[in-house]
Amino acid sequence: MNLSRRDFFYIATALGIGLPTIGAAASTPSRVDEVGLKDIYSFKARGNVTLLHICDMHAHIKPLYWREPSTLISAPNLTGTPGFLCGESFLKHYGMKGKTLDAYFDTFMNFDSLAHKFGKMGGISHMKTLINHIKKERGADNVLLLDSGDTWQGTGVALKTGGEAIVKAQNYLGVDVMVGHWEFTYGKKRVKELIEMLNAKFIAQNIIGDDSFADDFEESIFEPYTIMERGGAKIGIIGQAFPFTSTANPKEFTQGWSFGLRLDTLQSYVDKLRKEEKVDCVVVLSHDGFSVDQQVARHVKGIDFILSGHTHDPSPRPTVINGTVIVIAGSHGKYIGRLDIDIQNHKVKGYEYKLIPVASNLIPADPEGEALVRELYSPYDSELSEVLGITKSTLFKRDTFHSTFDQLINDSIIDAMDSDISFTPGYRWGTTVLGGDKITMDDVYDMTAITYPNVYTFELTGLHIRTLLEDIADNVFNANPLYQQGGDMSRLGGVSYEIRVGAASGKRITNIMVGGKPLSDSKVYKVSSWGGNLQNAGSNLKDSLTRPVYDVTAAYIRRQKNVNISGNSNVKLMDYDCGCPKKGAREC
Amino acid sequence: MERRSFLKGFGAAAACAVALPTIASAAEEKKSAGPNEMNFETAVAAITGGKALMPSAKVKIKAPEIAENGAVVPVKVTVESPMTSKDYVKAIHLLASKNGNVRCANIYLTPANGEAFFGTRIKLGGTQDVVAIAEMSDGTFLSAKQNVKVTIGGCG
Repeated sequence: MNLSRRDFFYIATALGIGLPTIGAAASTPSRVDEVGLKDIYSFKARGNVTLLHICDMHAHIKPLYWREPSTLISAPNLTGTPGFLCGESFLKHYGMKGKTLDAYFDTFMNFDSLAHKFGKMGGISHMKTLINHIKKERGADNVLLLDSGDTWQGTGVALKTGGEAIVKAQNYLGVDVMVGHWEFTYGKKRVKELIEMLNAKFIAQNIIGDDSFADDFEESIFEPYTIMERGGAKIGIIGQAFPFTSTANPKEFTQGWSFGLRLDTLQSYVDKLRKEEKVDCVVVLSHDGFSVDQQVARHVKGIDFILSGHTHDPSPRPTVINGTVIVIAGSHGKYIGRLDIDIQNHKVKGYEYKLIPVASNLIPADPEGEALVRELYSPYDSELSEVLGITKSTLFKRDTFHSTFDQLINDSIIDAMDSDISFTPGYRWGTTVLGGDKITMDDVYDMTAITYPNVYTFELTGLHIRTLLEDIADNVFNANPLYQQGGDMSRLGGVSYEIRVGAASGKRITNIMVGGKPLSDSKVYKVSSWGGNLQNAGSNLKDSLTRPVYDVTAAYIRRQKNVNISGNSNVKLMDYDCGCPKKGAREC
Repeated sequence: MERRSFLKGFGAAAACAVALPTIASAAEEKKSAGPNEMNFETAVAAITGGKALMPSAKVKIKAPEIAENGAVVPVKVTVESPMTSKDYVKAIHLLASKNGNVRCANIYLTPANGEAFFGTRIKLGGTQDVVAIAEMSDGTFLSAKQNVKVTIGGCG
């Protein structure tokens, strides 16, 4: 009898092996551990080359809990397609069973009880054990480790070391090539310093100098591609940085660099790799986002594999469009994607893929990695390990409109600034704190550690607020993936509204209420926001109130001690009946 | 003042302006239609003399999908043409369909140009189509358009 990992855990659950228990102690660790690891490692090896893929670690060098979204809404034409799948719809699309290890990693369902059973996810010392195992199996010379970016930013230790702790972690993991997005928020000078420390190559075909007085005007800022030989094959890897870095993040960090999709030059590099460099396989290492990369595959010819990132989707199966195979490996170090490629006579003959969950209770930690994490954290341990309070309900980040941790941040801001409205960005990175657990300073940094952390308080008219909400909604829900920026809707404190995602641009949002009263277009509201540039649209900025969001949030939790956030969303979704609709449907 | 720092200031101003596209355009519409204040259809008619535009793959616009800075959006137009005295591109007209001033540039060419190519940066007051019209030596007008999204960004 041949059991897959998935089957095993399903059967184990059915038989009551390792049933969720109250408290963190796993009920039968030895049994689950023994079979689980073998199953995690199991892979039908193929061909001569293995690409290992990671994306969007957001600086999580320690294992964490990370709950996937219970609401993931898109424009109607994209509903229920890869990139817009969650919960039951996700399980059905990929033919998976609930309450398994995979379901725990890939969906929000039964998250708390499965978290107690299966434990934390990711962490570099567990990732390294998995990487070492695969390198031993395949031969180290046949394996590449590729990183789709959003690696240097997202935790306190990353922020406090200006990204350096994470570069050390990448060097330890053995990353060969990477691309960037949040990396750039350390600023151009620091990015160049970090690249000096990094053993991996940092590539991007879509970052071009646009300062006409500079030497690099109209030139590539980074190497657009690199060629690596593995398993006797020449592999061309083209870098695609986040195309909308300069609109999604403050421009000052990348002044003089122009981003964009640049599909025409991408096509020319694909052609050059094939015709001039004579590579055997063309890979695009991308931070475009999963749905954007599906469009890229429709527009650009001759790409064998796109290793995608940015939108944090776990995708257990590759998506194939026009012969281009697209994979994406979740976020926060939860997974390593293993792609075995069979290259014969200078052509890709076949491949095998598996999205491997980095289950930290099942994959043993590499002692060298544990020592490195301890060393990197030690200067900051006393600050980061401070217990600020305890949460009654689970605090999570991911969801299209509303999340409990963001509500806590908005509550903190409104309390501190006495504002009518608070905006918290719909980033897709952060952490999850289980109900009943302690909230530490490290958790607060996990949600807020950015290089432009200030909460600004200013004035906006009701009309401004309405226009801004529509603008943000159009970036999230545009029917054309090429016009999406890949985040979730900004989270609002003090406001409730109704949304019709499928309505025309500028007409999606109705019935906006502020403090329980209808929004008045002419009224001036006191607004606080962080992580964006709304303050530029406002007036009467109150400088004396400006403070970093992590300090505001930490102070609030310290005062509250016991945090109790309701899961009730302030956003009413009018054109869907549930958070994870099926393809082409209103309902799940 | 260096051009660079001037553009920087311009960009910052634009970041504020884009939050108000509806207000700005409503105000523009009330003004009388001087030569620079025609609506899109009138401006096209003024160029073509009322002839129909023919959408054509020979006209290629290169512009970003999402503007990095609405105040300086790089746009390049190439028109496929042998550029001989019998068959050439007489002019390239660049328009922004919803700007207060929809006409951005008129570039007049001769066969001696050798290639019908023009690049510039234009200001876009909001999300809209950028339209290129190629006036051909045979009297026809070929066109192409691309939608460019202007957003305050950084919020999602």
